[in-house]
Amino acid sequence: MREADSSFSDADGLDMIEGFARVVAVEDGRIWLEPEVTASCGSCSSVGLCSIGKDAGAARKLAARRFELPGDLGLRVGERVVVGVRDDTLVKGAMTAYGIPLLTILAGGIAGQEWGGTDGMAALGALGGLITGLLIARVMANSLTARGILTPRFLRRSFDPPSDAGCHE
Amino acid sequence: MEHYLLLIISAALVSNVVLMRFLGLCSFMGVTTRVDTALGMGASTTFCITISAMIDWGVERFLLEPYDLGYLRTVAFILVIAAAVQFTEAVVRKVSPSMFQLLGIYLPLITTNCAVLGVNLLLVEGKMNFIESTVFALASSLGYSLVMVLFAGLRERLALCQVPRLFAGPPIGFITASLLALAFMGFSGMSTN
Repeated sequence: MREADSSFSDADGLDMIEGFARVVAVEDGRIWLEPEVTASCGSCSSVGLCSIGKDAGAARKLAARRFELPGDLGLRVGERVVVGVRDDTLVKGAMTAYGIPLLTILAGGIAGQEWGGTDGMAALGALGGLITGLLIARVMANSLTARGILTPRFLRRSFDPPSDAGCHE
Repeated sequence: MEHYLLLIISAALVSNVVLMRFLGLCSFMGVTTRVDTALGMGASTTFCITISAMIDWGVERFLLEPYDLGYLRTVAFILVIAAAVQFTEAVVRKVSPSMFQLLGIYLPLITTNCAVLGVNLLLVEGKMNFIESTVFALASSLGYSLVMVLFAGLRERLALCQVPRLFAGPPIGFITASLLALAFMGFSGMSTN
């Protein structure tokens, strides 16, 4: 998502990470949005690999990143909006998805090395640690999702940018 | 345990993958305009480097070394890295779709990040055992993430400063990166790898 220029605070006074998205469907009061592709995507050196910047794959990739906004916000299909998550959400998400499995991999690997004394046992320990870590991460991610921490919030409507507007990244 | 601690300090700070080995400079300059993007990229890269290093250790130990296939190392490691990135993407999507919305954007960028391949090749050069390889890869990638976040913080502050027009944008970014590299040279007296 491209970051909006202005900052915004939530009810607790915490800053939000903002991004633009477009309403693609409104079904039974549920609003589905797709994040906008950043202008810098086309010039990235990984554009050949990443389908986000290419026409053919862009739709599929964006459809995979489609998300839902709760509540009746009165939005219509095609409208451009600013959505945001609290700025500590990314830290919490990264620690849960990556930090926990990495810690358990390390703990399992060291335990395997200390008890088994061989590389094979260390590798087995690390593999066990990875599986355990992913299970813990899943439980914690479900908890974060249930509390709505990972869900983007609607902040405001946005106008379409002028045709010569570019990303400042 | 002291051995592992020295390995971590050496890999993360003394021989920092970005500022001392000059790897991953594309993402270092490209994804550090904001702290949150730098953090997301750093965390994703840390996970992928560690996973690929574990697999590459096995590929090197049980396939390339015994059958004298060293000339296939780069190709084999790139394949492993691409597979590790795909694995990570699938796992994050499975663990939490909401998390995938938040962190999935950074994953395709990792496949072409030379820091990932560089760390894996350094592991072969270092002739380390499994756990040393894993600790080295984790510490190297934590050093990468640390530098990414520090540099993003500096660039966010620079964006608010009045910079002469000739230096605005990438030039002042490179000057800041060089000063950061000089600061990290201060660690070089602590330990050697």
